[in-house]
Amino acid sequence: MNKRKVTLAAAAAGVITGVAGLSLAAMPAGAGQPPSLPDVSAESLVQQVLTSKPGAFGGTVEVDNKLGLPSLAEIPQLADGKHSARIWTDGNGKFRAALPNGQSEQTIVNDGKTTWSWNSADNEVTKAEHKADQPKPDEQKAQSVDPAAAAKQVVGLTKEFSDITVDGTARVANRAAYELVLTPKASEKTLIREVRIAVDAELKMPLRVAVLTNGASEPAGTVGFKEINVGAQDPKLFEFTPPAQAKVTTPEAKEEKGRDRRPELGVEQALQGKDPQIFGTGWDTVVGARIPAEAMTQVPAEAQGLVDKFTKKVSGNWGSGQVFTTKVATILIADDGRVVAGAVPEQVLFDTIGQVK
Amino acid sequence: MITRQFGSEVRWMLRRPRTLIGLFGLVLVPIIISFGIWTASDEGEGGGGPPGLGAILQGNGMVVPIFTLFLSLNLLLPLVASIWAADGLAGEAQHGTLRGLLVAPVSRVRLLFVKLFGLTAMSLFAVTLMAVVGIISGTAFLGNDGMMTLSGTTLSTAEGLVRIGLFILLVTFQMVAIGAVALAVSSATEHPLVVQAATMTTIIVFQVLGQFTSLDWLHPFLITTGFPGLIDVMRDPIPWEQIGDSTLLAGCYLLIGTGLAAIRLVTKDS
Repeated sequence: MNKRKVTLAAAAAGVITGVAGLSLAAMPAGAGQPPSLPDVSAESLVQQVLTSKPGAFGGTVEVDNKLGLPSLAEIPQLADGKHSARIWTDGNGKFRAALPNGQSEQTIVNDGKTTWSWNSADNEVTKAEHKADQPKPDEQKAQSVDPAAAAKQVVGLTKEFSDITVDGTARVANRAAYELVLTPKASEKTLIREVRIAVDAELKMPLRVAVLTNGASEPAGTVGFKEINVGAQDPKLFEFTPPAQAKVTTPEAKEEKGRDRRPELGVEQALQGKDPQIFGTGWDTVVGARIPAEAMTQVPAEAQGLVDKFTKKVSGNWGSGQVFTTKVATILIADDGRVVAGAVPEQVLFDTIGQVK
Repeated sequence: MITRQFGSEVRWMLRRPRTLIGLFGLVLVPIIISFGIWTASDEGEGGGGPPGLGAILQGNGMVVPIFTLFLSLNLLLPLVASIWAADGLAGEAQHGTLRGLLVAPVSRVRLLFVKLFGLTAMSLFAVTLMAVVGIISGTAFLGNDGMMTLSGTTLSTAEGLVRIGLFILLVTFQMVAIGAVALAVSSATEHPLVVQAATMTTIIVFQVLGQFTSLDWLHPFLITTGFPGLIDVMRDPIPWEQIGDSTLLAGCYLLIGTGLAAIRLVTKDS
């Protein structure tokens, strides 16, 4: 009966392997040993980050978001939770981003002349031909998931107002990186405790950005590469031909059509129409604007209900309004249409709102 | 020798009327889907087809087989796999024919592998049949200008066929993994209905558990968690990560199911 025992043992081994495999798959991947890299001064690293020219790369980006934002139908990738996106760029302005959303996908392709935005959920292509330096909304959306671009912006805007240190090394997407830490100076009245940027040791390209807020040990938000391959990408990725069955529209036509359907657009446009007013500098910069009175009254009841759900009623000697709080930012909307927002505690907003013209 | 046993097993399975009825039912699915999408298109604007992959079905017949299999993987295909697994051991036990097989001078492990082979062959056959009917009915009702992916690119018909082939293999593997666990249940009972009930209950409970975000620590253990990720076959270029994860997950179930069934068969009194 020896054979029987062998068979039993083999079968049991199979079961154990299966169970072990399941448990292994369920375990979060460990960070691994931090690589050892030659020391580098914070200042020179910052310079290198700001001057590094993004090369061609393709990769998968994971956004881990605990900001406490309500999920927006427009950008489901920014709702709380983990989301991933795939981006490719040729280093010369052409890029492609694939933003999966459940079983559908949004693809944004910039082929150098035109930005195509495809959404599989409604089988629609938006074609925006490039005009004189005009920001393209879809392109901004695509770049918001690019850790390299995001980190550069953060560093550029805040380096004068922060204590900058290099805090060890990390391994991100299988590449060795320095951890650059920007801590707001003590005089900055901000919600943010520090921003950690993992900078690729070789390319000096930011691979991961983590934002830590006061009183939390876990980052409120992380954008980082999960996988990256540096080097020339397939040029076919930067071309886009609208599928035969898809509707092709222009952004202008889409806006026309959307205006009556989506009331919040009215407020959005009102905000964009006026030049925002900037108060303060550095981390506690506050952005202010005034929504025209007619836009305030146009908000339909259902949208108002939605606003009420996410906001808190406040009042003070500046007036009264509603405050919307996330872990990294606060927005104050006064009943008379003044709006201020910033990565600051609400008290700073109360002090600033009086200056909004 | 073993090929002869494999052949006879599949012949036996194909001879059962319920197998034929089951296959006929499966074939109806892609036809109904194509027809449904086609009639929806007649109503002109509104579209509003099913969400996800369904949104790009219009005029895109090559996607019908993928869509069909993707939908069926949630309930229909596990059901079919459980029926075949139930017939394989519990059914034979009920008819008293398993006893003959167990006392025969044939290794019981070999018996299990013959049953597993039968399950695999029939799963592959059923899935391929659905896909082929899907291609035909999709092309007939919705037209075929190559395959449009979720990423908005259009693949040539040949590339599309490769994707469909890949999806057939992936779905079959999931089905076999479920069938292997069903075989383990099947080896422990004489009642085929128990096997089907147990398998289907498990699949449904897994899917319900998968809905609760508070149980997300449990999700990586559930085979059903891997199903939605297979849709990545329809993205371009294909992201392999989720597909690999799903297949590994199913592989673990296959090992556990086969191992348990083998332990039970070897220790079973004739």
